Amino acid sequence: MLTATIRRTPILGKMFDVDESTGLSDINTWPAMMIMTSFVWLIVAILLGALMPVIQMAELDANLFYSAITLHGAALAFPFLFQFMMGISLHRSGGCMGKSASGKLTTLIYLCMNGGAVLLTLAVLGGLKITYTVMYPLPLVGAQMGAWSMNMVVLGFTGIALVLTSIIFLYPLQIIRMSFFGKQREELLLSARTLKDPGMLGMVMSVMILLVTGTPLMIVAGALLLALYGIVPLEAIAWASEPVVFQYVFYIFAHNLMEAMAIMVISAVYATLPLYLADGTRKLYSDKLANLALWILLVTSVTSFFHHFYTTNPGLPSALAYHGNFMSWATGVGAALSTFTILATIWKHGIKPEPGLMAILAGFVVYILDGVNAMVAGNIAVSYQVHGTLWVGGHAMSVLIAMCLMWMGVLYHHYPVITGKKLDKKLGSRFVTLYFIGAVGLLYSFAAGGAMGMPRRFADWDAGPDGWMMVGIAILIFGLFLIAGFVTYMQNFMRSRSIS
Amino acid sequence: MLDFLYQTGWGAFTLMLLFQIPFLLVFPYIVYRKCFVNPKPGNTNPRKMTRLETVWIVSAIALFVIVNLYSISYMPMSRTAATEKTAAVIQDVDVTARSWSYEISNRQFEVGKPVRFSVKSVDTMHGFTVYHPNGKILFNMMLIPGLEKPSSLVYTFTEPGKYKVRCLEYCGIAHHGMQDELTVVKSDG
Repeated sequence: MLTATIRRTPILGKMFDVDESTGLSDINTWPAMMIMTSFVWLIVAILLGALMPVIQMAELDANLFYSAITLHGAALAFPFLFQFMMGISLHRSGGCMGKSASGKLTTLIYLCMNGGAVLLTLAVLGGLKITYTVMYPLPLVGAQMGAWSMNMVVLGFTGIALVLTSIIFLYPLQIIRMSFFGKQREELLLSARTLKDPGMLGMVMSVMILLVTGTPLMIVAGALLLALYGIVPLEAIAWASEPVVFQYVFYIFAHNLMEAMAIMVISAVYATLPLYLADGTRKLYSDKLANLALWILLVTSVTSFFHHFYTTNPGLPSALAYHGNFMSWATGVGAALSTFTILATIWKHGIKPEPGLMAILAGFVVYILDGVNAMVAGNIAVSYQVHGTLWVGGHAMSVLIAMCLMWMGVLYHHYPVITGKKLDKKLGSRFVTLYFIGAVGLLYSFAAGGAMGMPRRFADWDAGPDGWMMVGIAILIFGLFLIAGFVTYMQNFMRSRSIS
Repeated sequence: MLDFLYQTGWGAFTLMLLFQIPFLLVFPYIVYRKCFVNPKPGNTNPRKMTRLETVWIVSAIALFVIVNLYSISYMPMSRTAATEKTAAVIQDVDVTARSWSYEISNRQFEVGKPVRFSVKSVDTMHGFTVYHPNGKILFNMMLIPGLEKPSSLVYTFTEPGKYKVRCLEYCGIAHHGMQDELTVVKSDG
């Protein structure tokens, strides 16, 4: 039934029609469904992303800008990128562990993610403009001030809670189930791996991070939701409704969500790179070094979230600010080790320049460039200059774009197994080039805007010096490169030919 | 030079390039070389690779440490503590932020005289960012309602002029209109 649903979907169905002849439906069908649905959200995010500079240049309504920024961020981060990652990682996990990626839990993951995203979209269309970081207690304050209705707050929070349930509980449980429990099915085993393998270790680390750092947020958000539904009085959950409490549990999760996604994708790079080595050795330069990099990233990133609060001093005690500064830069040691491992592997064994691998490596370049951007902003002195500016918005966007490019490369690799079709090399190379130019251009445009003092999430670019609008034009131009890259990527799927 | 690196947005941009440029020279070069120039596996001595590994990591750590050590004296908490120790008088200014305006106890200051800004929000998240007349950010503060102590720092203006204040934390549909102005005049003394 699911395969038929995919097949019947207009345009996208042709791209992700699962090859049933291989007997791999249990690791292909749900991932294909998730990937296909994530592309619908991507199209929404792209249109809204391009709309924002246009709103500024055409001097349209600020309300439209804030609606666009809320939906753009939410669609890009969760139902697009996270769902895209879930689809590929469930396929990878199934093929590496020989376990089914289907079942009730996967169905629930899909329904919660997309159902929640639809509810949040409806709430935003109904007037809720809170950005994808929620900015609590803005949803409640906005309702009190009459900017939007409390019904939209309830609808939006319900949507967010469903999306978070999918990310924090259901997806990690599914990966844990597939990694540690259940019987292996030989017919599903494509490339056997163990948890000692960096390609699998990162995946398990990531879901553990989501589960551990996300649970406090779910407790607080759950309590708030109960009060919003009128099941418990607001006074009874005063401990959860404090803005400081919400902000801390939110950033403990949100910061680590990005780190978890980064660890997940780096591990996918470690798994995919050896498959394209020129000498056919299929081995990294050093598995130990690769694993060490992942452990350093894990340990340092968990508590580096304090950098989100430097500028509340003395609200954030200085000792914790110094700790956040130290840990933010220590993540760079993990990144330096990853860089060395990848370069040494390429140097030692040579590589075949296939588009999938080139996308992964180009994504890694953007990821490191953005990592430096984040580390610099993670310095306390610098943070007082760039916090709240386009610099920080650019960092959040660039890390998503970088991870997206790496996952697109990984999908390029898995696509023939899922659909039984092969992709065009020329279109693949064109996609990587266009996307890379767009990604790097956007990163520097946002950073330049931040350096000029241009605020993020700010609906009046005319209010600042002339340079602000120039930054907006640059964002639009490089955004168009990114869109051209996406379109070429999709065009390649459309034109894919059956391997047989 | 250090003032520029740690106290301006373009300084931050320069710091970013300091790390990115070496990476951008090395990474694409090796990938390009092994893809198109000499795709054969390299036969570098394993010992040399280990040495290279050590040099790479040690250099990265050394650079990270240097950049952060030099920044300590520019951190607002260090500056505030230093000024509080040395200055005879610090002018106190209380700021209350609410959607979408600021209540500021004093909007006029003198060049060279330290000012302690204590800023709090009474409804939702807001920012308090002071811009130099040339558009450069001097400092910014994030305000979370309900914090026991207001966000606070000591700043000494060095030039007279009109200084724009903006909220940099999204606070609703009129966020972009949340602005104010401070005036800095030449010192009498």
